[in-house]
Amino acid sequence: MVHILGGAQTDFERNWKKEGKNLVALLKEVINDAFKETGFSFDELIRLNKDNRVEAFVGNFIAEDYIDQGHLGAFLTEVNEAFYGIPSARYEAACASSSVALDAAITKIKVGEIDVAIVVGFEIMKYVDSKVGGDILGRAAYYEKEGKGIDLPFPKLFGRLADAILDKYPELDEKRFMDALAKIAVINYENAKRNPNAQTRKWFMNYEQASNRGNDTNQLVGGRLAISDCSQVTDGACCVILCSERYIKEKDLNNNVIVKGYGHRNAPLLFDKKIKDNADSEYVLPWTRQAVLDAYRRSGLTVNDIDVFETHDCFTSSEYAAISAFGITAPGKEFEAIENGTISFTGTKPINPSGGLIGCGHPVGASGARMFLDCYKQVACKAGQYQVKNVKNAMMLNIGGSATTNYVFILGAKDER
Amino acid sequence: MIKTVTVIGAGGAMGCNISAIFASFGAAKVYMLDIEKPINAVERAIKSVRSESIRNNLIPVDFSSLKECVEESDLVFESVVEKMDVKKDVANKCTKYLKDRAFLCTGTSGLSITEIANSLPVDVRRRYYGVHFFNPPYSMVLCELIKSKYSISEDIAFLSNFLRNQLFRTVVVCEDKPAFIGNRIGFQFINSALQLAEKYSQCGGIDYIDSIFGTFTGRLMAPCNTADFVGLDVHKAIMDNLLLNVDDYEKRSFELPVYLKELVGNKKLGRKTGEGLFKLQINEDGTKTPLVYDILTKQYRLKNKYKFGFAEKMKAYFQNGDYDLAFEALKKDDSQEALICRDLLKRYIDYSIFVGKEVCNDIYSADDAMATGFGWCPPLALSNVLFGTNYSTKYDFRSFFKAVK
Repeated sequence: MVHILGGAQTDFERNWKKEGKNLVALLKEVINDAFKETGFSFDELIRLNKDNRVEAFVGNFIAEDYIDQGHLGAFLTEVNEAFYGIPSARYEAACASSSVALDAAITKIKVGEIDVAIVVGFEIMKYVDSKVGGDILGRAAYYEKEGKGIDLPFPKLFGRLADAILDKYPELDEKRFMDALAKIAVINYENAKRNPNAQTRKWFMNYEQASNRGNDTNQLVGGRLAISDCSQVTDGACCVILCSERYIKEKDLNNNVIVKGYGHRNAPLLFDKKIKDNADSEYVLPWTRQAVLDAYRRSGLTVNDIDVFETHDCFTSSEYAAISAFGITAPGKEFEAIENGTISFTGTKPINPSGGLIGCGHPVGASGARMFLDCYKQVACKAGQYQVKNVKNAMMLNIGGSATTNYVFILGAKDER
Repeated sequence: MIKTVTVIGAGGAMGCNISAIFASFGAAKVYMLDIEKPINAVERAIKSVRSESIRNNLIPVDFSSLKECVEESDLVFESVVEKMDVKKDVANKCTKYLKDRAFLCTGTSGLSITEIANSLPVDVRRRYYGVHFFNPPYSMVLCELIKSKYSISEDIAFLSNFLRNQLFRTVVVCEDKPAFIGNRIGFQFINSALQLAEKYSQCGGIDYIDSIFGTFTGRLMAPCNTADFVGLDVHKAIMDNLLLNVDDYEKRSFELPVYLKELVGNKKLGRKTGEGLFKLQINEDGTKTPLVYDILTKQYRLKNKYKFGFAEKMKAYFQNGDYDLAFEALKKDDSQEALICRDLLKRYIDYSIFVGKEVCNDIYSADDAMATGFGWCPPLALSNVLFGTNYSTKYDFRSFFKAVK
C-alpha cells in the first residue's frame, strides 16, 4: 500500500524571470514547503538514506530548451546537502512527466525497495517568449511532422481534436458543442478564484467572453479554439511525498490517503494516426478511456465511487473528451454533464475544483504532480476554499502530447470504498 | 444589488479602468460619463480587463446626461480631479437625482469624506463613501472603503461584501483619516526616501537612494522612481495633505525636500512631463540614455552604477532562493548604505503598524494594503523575516523580493 503524506505547490501566479530567480530557488521553495507541510525533514532524509530507503523522482518535460539545464535528478543536490547520495533521476513524458515520476515512485514503494519517495515536478516556461515557448512545446508532438515551422502547434492539434469530436458524433450540434467548451473554460476560471495558488485568480472571464471567439481580446489560436479555450503558460513546481505502509507504522503516522489504482496507456504519437485508430471505438480517445478503465479495474472502483476529478484541460476540447472517458456520460453525450451542472464545483461529479490547467495554470512538468496533490488535498480535506464536500475517492487524468501519453491515478481514503 | 453604475470622470485613466471593473466582475451596466463623451475610453476599458464581452455594458455619455444616468444608478462613482471644491460640486450635482437607496462614492486618494459629506443634503450623507481603487485596478486589487461619521454598519457590510465578493477586491475598511492607510504608509516611505536623497546628495542623491531600496528590498520599483512614475505633483498633494492634517510621530517625514518643491515649481513633474527626478535623453542617433537629477548641481547627469556589498549579496542569495542568508547579509553589514536600508525598513514596519491601528483599527489591514495596493512586501511579513517576530500574515514574503540586477 502506498500512502501520500502530502506536499506543496508554488504560487502559479509568480513569474520566475521577473523575480530574477533560478531553478535552485524554485526547487528549494517547493521542497522546503512540502517538508514543512508534511512534517518531513532533511534530517529524516539523511537518516533514511543511510539504509538506502529513500529516493527522489523529478518530473520535467524540457528544461534543456526552456532554461538550458539537463541532468535534473542530480540537480536536487543543489537544493540541500541532505540529497547527497540519494538516488534521483528525471522522468519525462511531455506534459505527463511528473505522472511517470509518480508511477516510478509508487512502484518502488510497492515492491518494498524504498520507504519514502520525494516526487518533484516543475517547469520554468517564462524565461522564453511565447513564440519560442510554443515551438518548444511542439516537441511533445512529432516535431518534424507536426511542430517544426508551425506557429503554436499545440492549439492547432487540440483544435483538430475539437474537429474530430464533431466528426465522430454527427448528431452533435456544433453550436451546442462550442458553447459547452466555453462553459468548460468559465467553470475552470470560476474555480480558480477559490484557489490561492491559481495563476488566473485575479483574471476576468465570463460565458459571453468565452463563447465569442475571434475578436481582439479572444483571438482564434487553433481552428475553432480561441485564447479562452487554452491553458496558461506558467512557471511552477509541485512536490509530493509518498511512503510505504511500513513507514506509516514505524513513525506511527495518522495518515489515511492512499493510491488505489493507476492506468497508463500510450496512443499513437501522430495526431492523424490517433484519429484513424479510433475508428472502431465509440470514444474519440480510446486509449485515454482505456487508461481510466485500467485504473477502475486496479482499484476495484467505478465512476460511481469517484467524488471529484482533476483532469488535463490543456484545452477545453481535452476536458470535453475526458468527461466520457471518465464514464461520467456516454461518449458523444459529454455536453449534458456540462449543461446540467454535473461537473461544476457544486455538481455531483465536480471536475477541476482547483481551476485545472486553464484556471490554476500549466507548468507542464509539474501538472501531473499538481493534480495528484490536489486529489490528495480533496481526500484529506485540506483544500480550504476549494474543498469539495465528502470526498472519499478522487481521480486524475494527466496527458502528454496530443493525448498520446495517458496517465490516470485514483487516490482515496484507506478504509472507505 | 448593484446593477447600474455611473462613473463620473470615466475619460481619465482611473475612471476608465474602474468602469471596466464594475462592468466585468460586477456585471453592471456602466454609464461612462465625462465632460465630453469618452468614446475611446470604452476601448481602453475593454483592453484593461482583456474582455470584449463588457462592451455592451459600457455606455459613454457626456455631462448633459447626468440626470438620466444618476436616476437609474444604484451606485454613482466620482473619479474627477483631486480637488475638494470640484468633488463637492460634482457630488452635490448628483444628489438631487440620486435614487433613494443608491450610494454616492468618491475615488479620492486622501481627501476628507466627512467634509464632502457635510456639504451634501442631510439625507444623502449617510450614503456617501470613499472607495479608493489602486492603479491599475485589474492587477492591484486593493480597495479602501472609507466611512464617514454618518456611515452605518449595515451599509459598510453591504459595500464591503460587494467589493470583496463581486469585484474580487481585497477590501480594507478605513476611518476617514488623511490619505487613509495605503497612501499614508506608502507615500510616507517614498517621501522619507526622497528626504534621504537630499541628506545624502553628496553621495549621489536620488540614484544613490534608489540603489539602496531596489526591488531586492521587497518592492516592484525603487521609491524615487515610484514618485517619478506617479507624478511629483500628485506626490506633493498627498504630502501637503498629510503635513497639514496629521500630527503624529513621523510628521517630519511629510515635509517635501527643497529640490522636489523646485522641480514641481518648474513643472518637471516626472514621467508624464518627460522630466522630473529622472529624464530619458534622446540622442542624435535615436538611442535613449536614462539620466537622473543631481540635487547638488541641479542638472541631469548619467546614472551612477552603484554596487553595494550587502545589495549584491542579497540579490545573489535571492536568485538561489536563499532568503535567510539574504536577510542575514542585510543585518550583518555595517556599511552606511545597509544602515540606511535597515533603518527605513524598520520605520516602515513600525509606521505601518501604527497607521493600521489608527486608520483600520487593526494591524493586518496594513499587510493587505501594502501587498495588494503597492506590491511591496507587507510590513508584518517583513517584520517576521527581518526581526524574527511572529505576526500572523497571509502573505508569502518570498514573491516580493526580486533578484533582478
